[in-house]
Amino acid sequence: MAMTSMRPHRRRAPIGRIVFIGIYLLFVLVPLYWMFITSIKPSDDYLAVPPVWFPKAPTLVHYTAALFAYRGLQGIINSLIISLSATVLSAFLGTLMAYSLARFNTGGKHLAFWVLSQRFLPPVAIVLPIFLIYRMFGLHDTYIGMIIAYTVFTLPVSVWMMFAYFRGIPKSMEEAALVDGCSRWLSFRKIALPLAIPGIVAAAIFAFIACWTEFFFALILTSRYTFTLPTVFRAFLGFQGAQYGEASALAIVSLVPSIVLGTLVQKHLVRGLTLGAVRG
Amino acid sequence: MAQFSIMKGVGTIPRMSAISEWSDRNFKWLLVAPAVLLILALSVYPLLFSVWVVFVNYDFQIPGHAFVGLKNFQQVFADPVARWSLVLTVVLSAANVTIEFLLGLALALTMVKNFRGRGLVMSIIIVPLFISPVIVGQAWTLLLQRPFGPTNYMLSLLFGHDVAIGWLTESPWLYFALIIADVWQWTPFMFVILLAGLTSIPSNLYEAAELDGVDGWQVFWSITVPFLGPMIMLAITFRLLDAVKLFDTIFIMTGGGPGTKTYTASFYLYTVGFAQFHISQATAGSWIFLIITVVVVSVLVRRLLEVEPT
Repeated sequence: MAMTSMRPHRRRAPIGRIVFIGIYLLFVLVPLYWMFITSIKPSDDYLAVPPVWFPKAPTLVHYTAALFAYRGLQGIINSLIISLSATVLSAFLGTLMAYSLARFNTGGKHLAFWVLSQRFLPPVAIVLPIFLIYRMFGLHDTYIGMIIAYTVFTLPVSVWMMFAYFRGIPKSMEEAALVDGCSRWLSFRKIALPLAIPGIVAAAIFAFIACWTEFFFALILTSRYTFTLPTVFRAFLGFQGAQYGEASALAIVSLVPSIVLGTLVQKHLVRGLTLGAVRG
Repeated sequence: MAQFSIMKGVGTIPRMSAISEWSDRNFKWLLVAPAVLLILALSVYPLLFSVWVVFVNYDFQIPGHAFVGLKNFQQVFADPVARWSLVLTVVLSAANVTIEFLLGLALALTMVKNFRGRGLVMSIIIVPLFISPVIVGQAWTLLLQRPFGPTNYMLSLLFGHDVAIGWLTESPWLYFALIIADVWQWTPFMFVILLAGLTSIPSNLYEAAELDGVDGWQVFWSITVPFLGPMIMLAITFRLLDAVKLFDTIFIMTGGGPGTKTYTASFYLYTVGFAQFHISQATAGSWIFLIITVVVVSVLVRRLLEVEPT
């Protein structure tokens, strides 16, 4: 008995643990709950004292207003076009590069770390010149411009996640294929690539979430036509609460897909957050 | 006939066309080329281009770009708002990263052992990572904004007298508001990495410590901390590198205001470049910011590589 109570990792009273986790969960959920409630609350309830924790007459009017009057729907469509294209490109090019880095040690450590360093560049340092260059080439406020920008913006993560993934796949089968006279491309296409599919899917989903939630590049590189979903929120600024319902409705619409996708790749999260440096 | 088929089999490799032979030899470079070219086009080229921009007066209204030497840099150095924004960036990111680290570590320590509903709790804790910072800023605005948000009302109930804090307009409260939004979003980042580190500590170490009758804090300092060390470095480094870019929540929650009280480096440069259209001055400022960041990054990453167990 005495021994058991001595156990260091069992000494913490479970009640303290439950309380701590409970408070933290509350901290996470309250903003989301309040946002959801605001999105279905009639505008008359905004300033009620005490606050209305659940509206008596829930309404969807803010959703229709956010999607149509505030062009939220166009933002969603733009975000989908841009994020999906950039995701596919980033996953494809990232996988090619990662395979080369993992199998042939291309460019030694330097090339891999050069790609990684792109991830840590402050966006504000490159977005100004990109803006000027885009204006010169007519890429400002175009789908192509945004897709290229987001592809480059997500490439370091795609490359490094897949780099770690390929290093975890034994290369003996590819070597056997090469001995049998397969070209290098074929041994990549037919052997390594199918094995890497789960990793590619996870990397692609992280890239998609990154694009879907990105704000800074979109704020500067788009305006009237290819504005993405996060930039629509500018429309709700500075009205002292008049548009809270619409803002909340759009937020709910926007966060559901990325949370669902994120939860799907939860087990790859450590790899995603550390760019493959830590295996989850 | 038999001889022919053997000949054919042997002949496959030399019979590859010249093009496919060339592509096979340069295969590894062909694979990296597209990604490298894209990064060169959209990261290296803009940086080189901006080297020219900082030495001229780049103005959309004025045709031609007159050479002005170091004037753009002088203007940034002379601007008290620039200095203030840099100080605020350092202070806010230090506060954010510290709180997120401590909270994330506490969470990881409580979550490392299995219990009923752990999976669900995990899924909820990580949710903020998948939400746009713009929406995080919006959510906290809804909670804090006077008089609409319920925060002051709840505090009034708690303290038994009227609380009327302008969370997004009064110093120092607005800094708390910005920190709380950042902590809400990024604590799970620390948590996830530290939890992965904790679960990888071999459990027999704890068992041995238990047999020796070592107490809880001693175990924490002599086993958990040293083993977790590299992971802590990694988590803090990665988080810090993103924390210094703080922009989105400020844009939504305070708009840099009141006045310039909540200008971070990114927000300052954005304002100079895109609200005042002093493109060259903003570019000069972003070079200064970039150089500071690169120095910090290289120091941190070097230390990270030193401690990494591989």
